[in-house]
Formats: sequence, structure tokens, C-alpha cells
Amino acid sequence: MDNKRFSLKEFAALFPGRFESQEQLLREYQSFLAVFEQLDQAPVRELSDRQKAEIFRRSWQDRRRDWSWTWAWLGVLRRPAVTFAAGIALGCAGMFLALSSRPRSVEVQVDGPLAKSESPLTIEHIQRTQVYKGKAVERMYPGIENPQIVVEKTGESAKPQRVLYGTLDDGEIYVVWNL
Amino acid sequence: MTRHDSNSDEALIEAIERGDRDAAACLYYRHIDRVHRICCRIVLDSSQAPDCVQEVWMKVFRSLGRFRCEQSFAAWLNTVAANTAIDFYRRSRRQGHPVDLDEASMESLVAERDEPDRQFDDETARREIQAALEQISVNQRTAFVLRYFEQMPVEEIAKTLRCREGTVRTHIRRCLLSLRARLAAKLNREV
Repeated sequence: MDNKRFSLKEFAALFPGRFESQEQLLREYQSFLAVFEQLDQAPVRELSDRQKAEIFRRSWQDRRRDWSWTWAWLGVLRRPAVTFAAGIALGCAGMFLALSSRPRSVEVQVDGPLAKSESPLTIEHIQRTQVYKGKAVERMYPGIENPQIVVEKTGESAKPQRVLYGTLDDGEIYVVWNL
Repeated sequence: MTRHDSNSDEALIEAIERGDRDAAACLYYRHIDRVHRICCRIVLDSSQAPDCVQEVWMKVFRSLGRFRCEQSFAAWLNTVAANTAIDFYRRSRRQGHPVDLDEASMESLVAERDEPDRQFDDETARREIQAALEQISVNQRTAFVLRYFEQMPVEEIAKTLRCREGTVRTHIRRCLLSLRARLAAKLNREV
């Protein structure tokens, strides 16, 4: 009672652990035998000799025109993920070109040694805290190494606290001075 | 009968690479029916199947140089045919070509369902099965067609569809269950 194309053994392998008993498996397989029978009753209509000859003629003539690589590439580009990625890449390239074509500051050739200046005061803003450092602060507190004045507000309307941080004696002594 | 009829596929391929048209014809006629069966059952439209078959043979003749004898030519050809048919089917669906189950066919199908005594001939069976296969995803259908009709081993089908053997078995199982569900009414009526 086995189907010649689809044996009971193969059928059982398709449904592992699904049937509790051999009888249940056989019953189920028998229900599929009728499906198999229908499938076997529906052969594909063959191509006519003329159609076969025509297909061969065209395929053989076409073999020299090998555009397969072009179609393969077009096929790849037609996939949505590839198109999306290509769009992102093109967008990035466009942005890069647009930004790099903006007018830049012109470099001026200067003869002789360049003067190097350092900002006398640097102010760092960290939320409600401002840190003042640089030559100006060092001049104000010449005895203190790496002096920094930190101005901190605990709230929007709170009175700011001013603290001087620095070191003495080559960093041996740490200075915290409320101003 | 030509001088090539007794040659193996591999010998024919060598001759084709030298430009031997007779060898190409011999190889073509040896395998055309199988390629057509595969295309028909995957594309599900007998009017478009010849175009699909032609696409397969164009690919075959262009890429014979890439064929390696590690596997049989028949297995390689099955892979080319199945993948070309899958692409062809998806393309035709995207382009809005419905499967050629025209209204008349559908009506006659419905009418036959209402006539229990009518002979269940080949044409009716073909249409019933085509309608049932149309409900199944193209990958599931391909796995089933290659296993059931072309008797390809599951391992080869897995290579063809670039998936695991377990996936192929799942495809076949789902296809079988779907076919039984779809054809159940017909079967019950016949019993």
C-alpha cells in the first residue's frame, strides 16, 4: 500500500513524534494516499515538438550574448535591503560632497617665525558650574600651582559658591579655598 | 538517432563547449521534459511555462563553463530550473500577472464540485491541484515538487533552495497538509 513516490518510511520521517501509535500513522498515511493518487493523475502537458524546437533555437542563438552578469547585478539591486543600503551610502556620499565643497578659510602663508599665543583665561561650563583657569588666574594667585576658580550654583536662583582649587609644594598640599 | 545519443551528459558538455550544436540539441532533448515539468509546477501557469523553460536553457548554455562534474548534470540542471522558476514566478507576481486560472476555469471547477457523479478526469485533476498548489508558498511548493515529482533527495533540495534539510522537510510537510486540506472536499465526495 506504499505510494511509489512517497513511502510510509519517508512519511513517518516528515512527522516525527506526531503519531502515538503505528495504527494512527498508517491511518494518516492512508488519508494522504488519496492525495498522492490525485497528484499522479495530473501529469503536466508536454511541450509540442514545435515549441521545443523553437525554445532550443532561441536558447542556442542567445548563448553568445552573455549578459548574465548584468542581470545578476540588476537582480541584486532590485532587492529592497540592497536598495535601502545603496540609498544610505549614496546619501552619505552626497552629504560628504556637499560639506566638503563649502568655502573654507584660506590659509595665508606667513614668512618668519609664527607667534604662538595662549588664551589668558579659559572658562569651562558644566551645567551650573563654571571653571576659570589660565594665565589670568595664575597671575591672581602666583603662589598656588594650577589654580582654578570654580563657581557653582546649587539652584537657578541660589547664590553661587566660589572655590579656589590648586596645589602647593609640587602637588604635596591640596588647596581648597572658599572665596 | 544522432551520433551523440549514446554519449554521457559530461561528454556532451565538452562537445558543446567546442561549439557543437548537435551535442547541445542532444543534451536539450534529453532533459527538456523534466525542465518543463519543474517549471510548470512551480510557475503554475502553463502559458508562461515555455518562457520560463527558455530562460532556463539560456542560462544553461551560457553557464555550462561553470558546471563542475562534482555533481551530476541532471542535479545541477534541476537546481538551475527550480531557481529560475522561483524567480520567474515571483517576477510575474510582482508584475501583476495572475496565475492562469481564468474565470472560466474557476467556474467550471466550481461547477464540477457540484456534480459528484462527473468523471474526475485529468484536466479537472490538473486544475484542482494547480489551485491547491497556488495556495502554497513558492518555496514550499518547490521543495514538494522536487521531492515528490522529481524524486530529488532532500539533501539536494536543501542545496538547491540554500536551506537546511530540516527546513526542506518542514516545507514538504506543510505542503502535504495544505494539499490534503484543499483537496479534502473532493476526496470526501469521491469516496
